[in-house]
Amino acid sequence: MRIVLDGVRPWRHDLAGCLHACLGTLLDHAGRRPLEVLGAGWRFYYRLGDLRAEEYYHPCPDGRSLVASVAPGQGISSRWHRPADAEQGWQQVREQVLAGVPVAVAVDNFELPFRPAYRDVHSNHLVVVYGFDDERGTVRVLDAIPPFFDGDLPLGVLAAARDSGNRSSHERDMFFADNPIGNRWLELVADGAPSAEPRSPAGYLAANLAALRAGASGNPDSSAGPNSGAGPNSSAQPNSDAEPDRGAEPNSYAGRDGIARFLTDMSDRLADGHSIADELFVVSGVALAGTAVHADWVGDTGRRLGLPGWPELARRLDRLAHHWSAVRILAALTRTGEVTPRRLRGRQVALLADLDHTLGELDLMLAAA
Amino acid sequence: MTGQLTGHRTGTGRPLELRGHFDNRGITPTHDLGGGAFNVWSNTFPAEQLPPDGSSVEVGGVLFEFPARAAGGADNLRCAGQLIEVPPGRYDWLYLLAAAERRTEDQLYLHYADGAVDPEWLRVSDFWPQTPDRFGAVPAFRCATMHYPRHVQRGVDPVIWRHRVPVPRHADLAGFRLPDNPAAHIFAITAVAAGQEQP
Repeated sequence: MRIVLDGVRPWRHDLAGCLHACLGTLLDHAGRRPLEVLGAGWRFYYRLGDLRAEEYYHPCPDGRSLVASVAPGQGISSRWHRPADAEQGWQQVREQVLAGVPVAVAVDNFELPFRPAYRDVHSNHLVVVYGFDDERGTVRVLDAIPPFFDGDLPLGVLAAARDSGNRSSHERDMFFADNPIGNRWLELVADGAPSAEPRSPAGYLAANLAALRAGASGNPDSSAGPNSGAGPNSSAQPNSDAEPDRGAEPNSYAGRDGIARFLTDMSDRLADGHSIADELFVVSGVALAGTAVHADWVGDTGRRLGLPGWPELARRLDRLAHHWSAVRILAALTRTGEVTPRRLRGRQVALLADLDHTLGELDLMLAAA
Repeated sequence: MTGQLTGHRTGTGRPLELRGHFDNRGITPTHDLGGGAFNVWSNTFPAEQLPPDGSSVEVGGVLFEFPARAAGGADNLRCAGQLIEVPPGRYDWLYLLAAAERRTEDQLYLHYADGAVDPEWLRVSDFWPQTPDRFGAVPAFRCATMHYPRHVQRGVDPVIWRHRVPVPRHADLAGFRLPDNPAAHIFAITAVAAGQEQP
């Protein structure tokens, strides 16, 4: 049997990674507009120690699935599947594709010939699978992260990448190695049943502002239940997109104040001689992607609605994203001692000043509307 | 736009001496793939596809000194708050050959000879392949391959961009302080005097 699904198109944002790219493609195929779903929400959340070695890492507040965490308020969620072995892993993915549903599968770049890291660097990556040819023994794979790839792979090659132990072997196996891939795959649950009244664009901005300002002290939407874990090592929870109750989560950072505390704690830990490179690099990458995709949504929405103030707000948001570009590299350079706590604090001061300014402008804009 | 090697100095502007500030090696020859680390992953630009060290090169009418390697092989600087001196004079623009690890921006501080200081925006586009510019920069050099420490990757085309920063005051410029943003790398800077600016 041979099948290649129609309507599977690449999607990518230059400041986001494979998670947004794969979700964009899956959402598009499900009839949703990727930028609208992935960009309307803007949050900051992280729980100390939650970090996982995944290029597609995204913190998941209590009770939320991965996709509901990336795209709050959209009535869309996701379910991680962890098959028992490679064979079951392929059969599950094959069934989905046969049913007309593309899926995202985790892979180790080390095993994929089209990745520059092939036979060089282990990295826990995410690609889309949307076809197969039983007779030829191939799988159709889409990877929108440069170098772009959209083509067939031998099933055995994909299976090796999905079943990899992802073990590091040299110094460049950093950030995303030593987390076994485990044949995991992600199912998008786009049931079209939002958990709340659909929000207007301004409604999303208001919800974002409330969530960022609530931070650790309050909850702008509603609370969710105890954490059932939303990472790929857990089972499914394609349910709530509600805001978490920060007070119930010790060691968590949320909202504007959470950003301030997180960066302060990172600087303090560096000053105390701890290694912070992985945690700060990956979490700042999440903040970078979320802020930048939101910026594009704000700009795009404003132009579409004829609201010139919105592209101006989008530019402020882009500026914030560019701060996170800097934080990400500062984090990496703490490994070599090139970056001191003083340099990190300098960036924190500038980032928070711009964040406060942006939130203030957003508040004024919403009040005027 | 692609840089043109010049046998003699053509193009406008006064290239600035940056060697004393270089602290990163971003360009390697194929026989020394592991000799540099432009980015976190130790990727580098291929020397064979770029102008020779220390050569004069024209990019869109502006004269640049392609970096002559400093001690340790460094050929660019990561922005880290360096104070760069400029031969005092009237300039309208600072043109840069630069590239970033993910696009980024920050303010630099222009220091004028009369003591005045103004902030201006320094914006640097992403060097990463298949990633469009978002700041209105122009590609100065787009390579056909990228170097990894253990191999040459074909079909991956990193870019060095030409950016510019305005110098608005009608006053002599004495220097500028770069931001502390190590995501931004600078290979060359040329100060262009009033009336010499390019389209």
